[in-house]
Amino acid sequence: MIKFWKERAKSKILTENIKLEDEINILRDELKGQIKAKFAGSLSIRMVDSGSCNACEAECNALSNPYYDLERLGIHFVASPRHADVMLLSGVLTFNMLPHVLDAWEQIPEPKWCITLGDCPAMKAPFYQTFAIKAPASEHLPISYHIPGCPPSPEEIMKGLVGFLRGV
Amino acid sequence: MSRLIALFAIERDEHFEIIERFNDKSESKIIPKDTPKTKTITYEHPSAIWFERKISDDFGIEFEDSFDKRPLLRHERFPLEIHPMLKSFDAKKELTFAPFKPYKYEAISGDGVFEVPVGPIHAGIIEPGHFHFSQAGEDMLHQEVRHFYKYRAIEKMVEGKNLDEVKEIVERISGNETIAYQIALRDIILQSANQSISDELRAYHAMLLELERSIHHLTDLGFIPNDAGFGSALAYCSALAEEARRVMKTLTNHRFGFGSIQMGAKSYDKDEFDKWLSYLQTKMSKFESWIMDIPSLWDRFDTTGILKHQKAIKYDMVGVVARASNVAIDRRDNEYYKNAGWSIVTENSGDVGARFKVRLKELFNSIKLMKEFNSRCSDKDIEPININQFSDGRYEAFVESSIGELYLYIEIKENKIERLFARDPSFINWQGLHLMMPGNIIADFPLINKSCDLSYAGNDL
Ligand code: SF4
Repeated sequence: MIKFWKERAKSKILTENIKLEDEINILRDELKGQIKAKFAGSLSIRMVDSGSCNACEAECNALSNPYYDLERLGIHFVASPRHADVMLLSGVLTFNMLPHVLDAWEQIPEPKWCITLGDCPAMKAPFYQTFAIKAPASEHLPISYHIPGCPPSPEEIMKGLVGFLRGV
Repeated sequence: MSRLIALFAIERDEHFEIIERFNDKSESKIIPKDTPKTKTITYEHPSAIWFERKISDDFGIEFEDSFDKRPLLRHERFPLEIHPMLKSFDAKKELTFAPFKPYKYEAISGDGVFEVPVGPIHAGIIEPGHFHFSQAGEDMLHQEVRHFYKYRAIEKMVEGKNLDEVKEIVERISGNETIAYQIALRDIILQSANQSISDELRAYHAMLLELERSIHHLTDLGFIPNDAGFGSALAYCSALAEEARRVMKTLTNHRFGFGSIQMGAKSYDKDEFDKWLSYLQTKMSKFESWIMDIPSLWDRFDTTGILKHQKAIKYDMVGVVARASNVAIDRRDNEYYKNAGWSIVTENSGDVGARFKVRLKELFNSIKLMKEFNSRCSDKDIEPININQFSDGRYEAFVESSIGELYLYIEIKENKIERLFARDPSFINWQGLHLMMPGNIIADFPLINKSCDLSYAGNDL
């Protein structure tokens, strides 16, 4: 640890400045503004995976890395549906997950919104329909907004959230 | 004793065939359709438990003397008269929910002992699965892992299709192992078409596989310390993982490399890539000297979630988890990889710290391998070879994914898939997860689980 601090003192850099693309900066500003205006500065999202390939989750996790850092804008991925404004739903809604997804949805207090993430919940990912798949999600839940992609990149997710917020 | 890799069934016209695939042999058992019963091998190979329960669910075959006959992928509301892998069952049939039938969890009872159910939906951005704990206060006495919430019936979905039609599905079995799955499928396509690819293309594919491994390891090298309360490691490594994903996108036009393993390839800037590798090497050397020197973190890592060497062997464990318990198995253990600079990474202690160190050392090894493969790659576009004829037969492929040994079996009949079976490394390793729990407190479960970082999607299919 001392070794680390010695180096740190030498390098004099306290925070590394990661170069952000202009486009992401504009997105971040609009996100922050919209959340401030419509959700009193804090939007709580309950992410529910209903049978994804896990790439959609990985991209959601990427939203917290220093390049995007969504927490700073007031977007929180919360631990319980009872803390959530929005359910962000990924995956093909499997037979085994559907009852649990509906449970989670029930637990979210009104007003609430469901956003589908990725091609899977719209049944547009390249899977064939089987008995074990209950997608499209729109047959089971009121979907307010859809973010397409396989998977949507962090930037596309941010754009999607802006699109959703504009409509609220 | 042989190591069990996979155990699965195939329905024939007159009978069922059960294939027992070990590391050194493959055995086939015939089971009559009118009395679909056979003997269990779970006493010798505990890792056969899920395989056997899956076969029972899929085909209605009974393993007579087995101690665990609970349904596996047919959950509480699944109509139990249905065995979905039978040829007579229509893949597209619309299933309706049956009345709820409780699942009997493994649990320890006794004075003051209580159960803690966790999941399927977890508190973070994680895939769904269920963990059932028997607790004495903070101490975990036992844990049962229950999965298959993500069961999409991929094996059934691909039946009757040809190999081309399933490429996009196979690459989406488990997103964080997509390159590994694509390479496994590539190997099977090449075998069935009796073709081969150029050394340059092979090097390119191998390079992408190491890039996928690097992204996965970088992610974990951030998340594991984060689960022990050391967030700055996550900030450091997740930024590097993001940069690596962008490199993947530059190379393959996709952040995960979906659709990247083709029979040809586009050229890319080799010098740029090499420069980035040197940068990553420097960044990670810095990370190493920093992270290895934080006593409060290693206090959490060391002796937490130990998987003993003997148990790792008994449970046929693979991948990073096995290597951290000093079981030296890695599918890259061959001349091709050795010539490129691969060497096995093992640790002795089998704890969270050991799994962390294995990942860190493997990352350095991957950088070395990528440098070598990069130098072997072509400067120009590689023209795709045309493959459209697949001969009938049974084909297998093994790939070392970022999690561990991946096994893919495909049988082709009249140009169509008769049977596809994928054994994700996670399927084996999930079954050994509970061995790491006794002696630890429940608050350390997320840390232990993260140190293994297994795939739910690949496990559930
Ligand atoms: S939409 Fe694509 S990336 Fe997302 S979970 Fe589905 S298959 Fe995976």
